[in-house]
Order: sequence, then structure tokens, then C-alpha cells
Amino acid sequence: MQQVLQNTEKNNASKRELLFTFQAIIVTGLLLFTTIAFFFYNDLSIIKGIKVVFAPFLSVVPLLFILSILRDLQKGFTEGNYSKNEIVRFCIIALAVTVGFTGITYLMSKIGALEILLAAIMAILSTVFFLRSKVKDILGMSIITGIAEGIIIYMIFLF
Amino acid sequence: MILRKLNIAFLVTTGVSVVVFVYLVFLGYDEIKTLKDVIKIIASIVFPIPMLFFVRFILIQHFLPQNTDDYKLKNQKPATILLLLTIITGIGIMQLIEFLTHQNLENNLIFAHLINSTAVSTYVLNFILYNNLKANGILSGVLLSLAIHVFFLSS
Repeated sequence: MQQVLQNTEKNNASKRELLFTFQAIIVTGLLLFTTIAFFFYNDLSIIKGIKVVFAPFLSVVPLLFILSILRDLQKGFTEGNYSKNEIVRFCIIALAVTVGFTGITYLMSKIGALEILLAAIMAILSTVFFLRSKVKDILGMSIITGIAEGIIIYMIFLF
Repeated sequence: MILRKLNIAFLVTTGVSVVVFVYLVFLGYDEIKTLKDVIKIIASIVFPIPMLFFVRFILIQHFLPQNTDDYKLKNQKPATILLLLTIITGIGIMQLIEFLTHQNLENNLIFAHLINSTAVSTYVLNFILYNNLKANGILSGVLLSLAIHVFFLSS
């Protein structure tokens, strides 16, 4: 009985981790979708072909460096329920990031060249992967949710 | 077991969203002219999913009692009251907004899609995982008020 109880408790953290992974995949898909949408809709031009090749390195190299030297920032997913205070706080964080990302997506739609858009998308993707691998916590989850909702809200109401 | 239930819930939710999406595409075939409309509709279908994940992340455990007869009896009345209240407030708010902005909901179908897909997805998730009767009342109220508004009140 004791072992069964422990097993279900262990499952909670792994379930949270699974949800977090799914959310990261959704955000990645949304970013891809955004790129394609902007690319087709705004008729972006490739001004200098060589820049496209180097655009991803701008953010991927620092990401890899940071990931290699930094230890895990948070302790991981908790087993039990969150308190009401924490829920309210992280919902507010998610809401704030949503508003922020609606603005950032708006700025991205103003970009006229493909290589700069690619660089911006790669920078956001790097941030997502950083959160995914180092801030494995409710904070990371609320930020990622905010990013996803911000992109979607821009697409629905402002695009 | 619970993990499997969770997976089923998300599969059903996503399935419902996709069905609603395909239905809307055929329904509004004349209105969807540009790539922009397609993007907007896809976005409004995807809209509830990150939120559902976040809610599920926070409410990881069965937060409410099981769906026993006792629980049902105790919650019948508040759930019904919440249903009626939500219908009335929902219709009231939509009428007020239409009155204030001088626009029909039918001309801004994206809002209807948004409310619809969010409410349906939440409804399914709540039904499968939590069985919270009060939440059930509120969500049913939102869906019913939307339906009443679209069918009977919009000219």
C-alpha cells in the first residue's frame, strides 16, 4: 500500500513534466506557424542570402553555452497541489507574458526581411528551450503558456 | 490509469476542436476568402489548448470529490442556479455589447468561434476529469446563451 501511494505521488511530478513538454512542443509549433504565416502573407524578401545561414547561430550558440555552464535553476515539479496564493501569482505572470507577447508578435509582423524574422524566431525558440531545460517549474510553465496565448491572441485579433 | 484518462481527455478535446474547425470551414465557405481568415480560424481553434494545459498543470490531482450520488444531490441546486444565472448574464452581456457597439455578433464570427471552442473544450475536460457540477452549470450556461443568442435574438 505504501508503495502504491508513493507510485501515484511520483506520477504527479512526471505528469507535470509531460504537460510541460507538450506545452513546449505547442509553442514550437505555433512559432513555426507564425513564421510561415508572416512569410506568406507579408511577402518577405531575402535581402542577403548569407545572413539566413548565420541568423540561427546568433541565439543558438549562446543558448548552448548557457545550458552547458548553468546548473538547474529550480528544484523541479512539486508533488502536491499549489496554494491559492501561488495559483493567483502565476496566473498573473502568465497574463502579463501574454500581453507582452502580443506586443512582441506585433513587432515581429513589422519586420520586413526574412533573415531578421528568422533570427527573432530562433531567439524566442532558444528562450523556450532554456525555460524547458533549466526552469522546470511552474514559473517556466506560466511563461510558456503566456508566449503561446500571446501569439494566438495576436493572430486572432490583430493580424 | 489517471495518466490514461488525461491522455483520453486531451485527445477528445483536440478531436472536438478539429471537428468544430472542419464544420466551420464548410459552414463559412463563402466567408473564408483569404489566407488571413484561415489563420484566424486556426488560431481561434488552438486558443483553448495552452490554457487547458496550464489549468491541468495546476490542478494535477482530483481536486473534487468523486461523482457520487451524494455529491450530485448536494450540488443539484447550486448548479442549476448557476446555469440559469449564466444564461441570463451571458445573453445580457451580448445584447449590451451589440447595443453599445452597433455591431452584430454574426459580423464578427471570430468571437463566436472563440467562445464556442473554449467553452466546448473546457466542458469536455471538466466532464472527463473533474466532474465539477458547478463548473458544468456555468459552462452549459455559456454555451446555451451563445446558442440562444445566435438562434433567436440576432436579427
